Amino acid sequence: MNWIQALLIVSVLALLVYLLRSRRSARSRAWVKVGYVLFVIAGIYAILRPNDTTVVANWLGVARGADLMEYVLIIAFVFTTLSAYMRFKDLELKYARLARAVALQTARVPEDR
Amino acid sequence: MCISISDTRYHDVWIVVPAFNEASVIGDVISDVHSVFHHVVCVDDGSRDDTGDVALRAGAHVVRHPVNLGQGAAIQTGVEYARSRRGAAVFATFDADGQHRVKDVIRMIDRLAGEDVDLVIGTRFADPGVVSRTPFVKRLVLRSAAALSRRSRRLGLTDAHNGLRVFNKTVADQLNLSMSGMSHADEFISLALENHWRVTEEPVEILYTEYSMSKGQPLLNGVNIIFDGWLRGRMSR
Repeated sequence: MNWIQALLIVSVLALLVYLLRSRRSARSRAWVKVGYVLFVIAGIYAILRPNDTTVVANWLGVARGADLMEYVLIIAFVFTTLSAYMRFKDLELKYARLARAVALQTARVPEDR
Repeated sequence: MCISISDTRYHDVWIVVPAFNEASVIGDVISDVHSVFHHVVCVDDGSRDDTGDVALRAGAHVVRHPVNLGQGAAIQTGVEYARSRRGAAVFATFDADGQHRVKDVIRMIDRLAGEDVDLVIGTRFADPGVVSRTPFVKRLVLRSAAALSRRSRRLGLTDAHNGLRVFNKTVADQLNLSMSGMSHADEFISLALENHWRVTEEPVEILYTEYSMSKGQPLLNGVNIIFDGWLRGRMSR
């Protein structure tokens, strides 16, 4: 086994432990966890037998497994960026509502003249 | 001003003035508005200067965002404050930088009362005399924005990005602006379509003073506005 393979496997497993330990709303996160476990299994397999990804790549008309990985990575990155952006906008709206509630509670009324 | 404060015709009117760092002009603007309209609420959008204090001394109710949120959020806050006041029936948004004229608001209120409409939006493009005073590039961009916007076209609007609006309680109660920044003008139009508000336009004059020009939004912001409009439909509300 190469050093890089060991390093990659350790980091993938570390991510898995981190994700499984995080507790957010149980139901919706469960599927993410299942998906992640599958990802970890596939990841470790790809790390140990990198040539097998080339076989899959060839099925899809891509020359090398590494290229296929890159394409998948790009799509995943764009997806993550967009969902983070949407979540951010959502948060911004909540933040605005909170600030508004504070503002309305501390309204100042002019003296009548 | 020929109309005095004792005039009770406008006691059901609330003027909403969103302001961010406008201490140098807000006093005059509020005084001017207050000379006709008894009820003025200034939303201090987290200003770093004493905008809120100056507005309060000039006779406005002041609600202050603890942090800066943007003009759309400020308008929403102002309208929520005003609509909760007893007797409030007519609402107007009025920019804090002195670019609007009080007599335009009076005319718009008269139209709201006299015609079967819920929302009157100011337009600087109805009267040829007014058009010539709008800077050329700004005119070009605003007109193309109005023409490109499917929603504005459906309502027959020529200048959706005008800060001067007068509306009734129905609109105020249903108003729910979620775009905090400068995209609220388009959102206003979207809400008008979704809620079937009856909309009309009234020619108004915009006073392009050096001050209001320096405070105006850069034209490049149009890109943000278009993007926000596209995004809006995809957000949870």
